[in-house]
Amino acid sequence: MLSEFAEKQNIPYRLLSDIDSEAIRDYGILNDEIGREDAFLEGIPYPGVYVTDEEGVVVAKFFHDTYKLRDSPEMLIDAALGRLVASDDARQASGGDEEVRISAFIHGGKGTIRQGIIRQLVIRCELAEGMHIYGDRVPEGMVPTTVSVSGPPGLIVEAPIFPATETLRLESMNMELSVWSGVVDIVVPFYPVGLLASETRPLDMDSAGIEVEVRYQACSDSSCFPPKTAKLALTVDLDVIDVPRLGVHLGHGQRAGKFNSMPHMRRLILRKLRKYPLGLPRFVWKNIRLEAAAKWRSLMGS
Amino acid sequence: MTVERDHHGFDAPAPLGHPGRIGLPDGHPTGPEVGERLPDFSLPDAQGRVVDYHESRGQAKSVVVFFRSAVW
Repeated sequence: MLSEFAEKQNIPYRLLSDIDSEAIRDYGILNDEIGREDAFLEGIPYPGVYVTDEEGVVVAKFFHDTYKLRDSPEMLIDAALGRLVASDDARQASGGDEEVRISAFIHGGKGTIRQGIIRQLVIRCELAEGMHIYGDRVPEGMVPTTVSVSGPPGLIVEAPIFPATETLRLESMNMELSVWSGVVDIVVPFYPVGLLASETRPLDMDSAGIEVEVRYQACSDSSCFPPKTAKLALTVDLDVIDVPRLGVHLGHGQRAGKFNSMPHMRRLILRKLRKYPLGLPRFVWKNIRLEAAAKWRSLMGS
Repeated sequence: MTVERDHHGFDAPAPLGHPGRIGLPDGHPTGPEVGERLPDFSLPDAQGRVVDYHESRGQAKSVVVFFRSAVW
């Protein structure tokens, strides 16, 4: 079935089948909250990604506390290469001034967002020769570099990730400062949740506006410019997903590729039934109870 | 099928508490750590050929993705 799945989903990389969860167990990532009473769900891993170097040693790993949250493939490539590889056609906005040119662009995907998939907003500050901006250790009266990013409700914006600072020693004032110079990439991960980009109902809007504010103060070794605030705005499109006809076994990926998983689902269920015949009835019964509880909650809520 | 929003804000076509929606519990190990060599494994590919992970990798860097299922 994996060959059909790979073909219909246009997956160029190799898919392996861990049918008895051997590697999953060996790696220690078996989802052990799911048991044989959960029928065909049994044996799944906590989903995650490892990126290794040439020796097979892990250089980065990506796991989240919910399976809905996933990193853009571009981030895996960045982790493997150890640098950020920006796309030429990324959505972009620019601002700033002669001392500090500021641009912001979306990294990951094709400038689009969908529920739970993490993209990055990259805020690139290009400083003129001899200029620096401040990290969090600033001299009295000076302004450290801060960024704030906001979007519509349902767009979750994580804390900005700053690169490491350089130490600037000012002998005349006997001071050590943490600064950036040259090209500084500040990365802000973000993703939409169901309020903005549900995959179970049609979208309310087809794009989202993101506003970026960068506050900074540019200085040379001898003099400083007044603090400034640069404001940038850009939009990202929301991925249109084919809703509403949704079955639990048919995620939007399957539908997009017209991959019919039902025959494979039947085989999977039969295989699990042979191992533990009570699994399916117990799972069905659990589902009836969960559905009833959900109906009750929706009645109470409405 | 009831659609409910979980405490992370995500919608899914299954009621809350459904085992398919269980997340990674707090403090749960996530397998080999940064700096460790990934354990080897041998698993069949889409054509049924057994693939030895490190051997197939050769001297290349690799990305190993564990996902839940291609069926559902």
